[in-house]
Amino acid sequence: MSRVLAIAKNTVLEVVRERVVLVLALFGVGLVSASQILAPLALGEGKKVVTDFGLAGSALLATLLAVFLGSTLLYKELDRRTILAVMAKPIRRGEFLLGKFLGLWATSGFLLAGMTAIVLLLLAVSYGGASWVLLGSLALTVIELGIVTALVILFSSFTTPGLTALFAAATIVAGQFAEDLLYFGSHGAAPAVAAATKACYWILPHFALFNARGLVVHGAAVPPERLLFGAAYGLLYMGALLVAAGAIFERREFR
Amino acid sequence: MGRLSDVTRACQPEQAGRGPIREVSPLPPLRLTGVAKVFRDPMTLRRFTAVEDVSLTLVRGEIFGLLGPNAAGKTTTIKMILGLIRPTRGTVLLDGRDPRNPDARRRLGYLPENPCFYDHLSAVEYLDLVGSLCGIPPAIGRSRAAALLERLGLASHARKPLRKFSKGMTQRLGLAQALLNEPTLLVLDEPMSGLDPIGRAEAKKLLREERERGTTVLLSSHALAETETICDRFGIMNEGRLLETAIPGLLSSGVREWEIVVESMPPRMSESLRAAGHRVEPVGGRWVVGVRDGAALQEALAGLTQDSVFVHSVEPRRETLEEHFVRALNGAGGGPS
Repeated sequence: MSRVLAIAKNTVLEVVRERVVLVLALFGVGLVSASQILAPLALGEGKKVVTDFGLAGSALLATLLAVFLGSTLLYKELDRRTILAVMAKPIRRGEFLLGKFLGLWATSGFLLAGMTAIVLLLLAVSYGGASWVLLGSLALTVIELGIVTALVILFSSFTTPGLTALFAAATIVAGQFAEDLLYFGSHGAAPAVAAATKACYWILPHFALFNARGLVVHGAAVPPERLLFGAAYGLLYMGALLVAAGAIFERREFR
Repeated sequence: MGRLSDVTRACQPEQAGRGPIREVSPLPPLRLTGVAKVFRDPMTLRRFTAVEDVSLTLVRGEIFGLLGPNAAGKTTTIKMILGLIRPTRGTVLLDGRDPRNPDARRRLGYLPENPCFYDHLSAVEYLDLVGSLCGIPPAIGRSRAAALLERLGLASHARKPLRKFSKGMTQRLGLAQALLNEPTLLVLDEPMSGLDPIGRAEAKKLLREERERGTTVLLSSHALAETETICDRFGIMNEGRLLETAIPGLLSSGVREWEIVVESMPPRMSESLRAAGHRVEPVGGRWVVGVRDGAALQEALAGLTQDSVFVHSVEPRRETLEEHFVRALNGAGGGPS
């Protein structure tokens, strides 16, 4: 496990020392703060606007960080051949991938947590109290980020950064509508289409499960069973993606 | 500057109870048997044989030089030894184990050709990462890293970001990371590349010290003269094949020519030597006569003495590694002309 953590720590340092992270963090702070400007237009619903806008912006930026920085992580290792000296050490390829995954997930998770903390601070300062139910939404978004990161690691194990970002973005968008896809297939579609949509429903990550912002903006807490189910589903899904990525990476040759 | 023995001493705590002498496996540190690698172009599906039927066994504690022109298959062979690519045919064994098994790489040190390390890290941070990957306890890792950085002249640059390192400094850091786990097998791809003359001399000294400690070294190089001075044995590769393995000492025992240096020589004498098929050349105010064998040497010396020519010196001229290398490649039909 120390080898995995060493790779994860190096990945965190690599990502954090990229200037784009600073830009994203500043952009995130700006975005969350901008919700304050919109709040007076919401006719007494300012707190909801700040919460909804802040949480959605935080999740979007953390996802962008995971997709765009993650898609180049493995590619840079192979292109600059830094991976040669590392893989000659007594480390399994799966451990290397797991370390990359954990490092990227941790970094995007820290960015998300930081921006959520700013939202909580804004709520506390402007509306006289932070709504701690936001933490339930944060937990689910962190798990969602884990799936996004694992998707990026899987795609980057066999293709280019551009295609990795494209495939990951397509899967994220499709995953938001997994339920709608099943509904579409089961209502009058041809049997082949119905079978295809059903297959997609089971294969695609169900990202809607992790979106609890609708609940928390109204001050409702995320039910514990939803948190538990989300965690179990998310960890299983991440595990499956990483096993697939590991199997592909194991066969890869470092020419 | 510290010596590598300082590094060894710094690592004593890990070796408590068994002294500085390493555990020695009875198996050869490296054995390649009929190894071949065929690549396929993903676009044209055309096959390309990079390495063909290479068999080689290294002896513990030797420095083996793998020589060959560009695209001879040296780096591909090295990558198969490290488990970075799979052989299409044949087997590679490190201490009797498949190199794709991480345990087989536990005491392996590797310096890639034109190494590149994480430029967001400093030298100390990189060696810390390497120590963690090798499972070295942090305190011992830090101690070894400090001693190696001192030994390789990088101590004053230990905290500098690697992006600011010159090529020579990166090469020296490459040697440091390869030595951090006290390897029993060192695989160095062009270790002298990018080093200045002082750096090369230091690197050669370091390799000799490693050999004294029982480390087996496999190095690939284009620098033939330097390889000749440090290698116990070398192999010549060309077009993916290992053409031959030889020992530099035995190679140079074959005298190609005897050179007689004389102060001055009457024109009649030089014409007569040329007529006998010998090489006669004026060099720096003296004359050099090259004769092919011992009998011809005796005959030439007798003639020179008879004519009262002062013989300055008589020296055997042996085949250099470079001459041998060119001859081996030409013999294989693929070498430089």
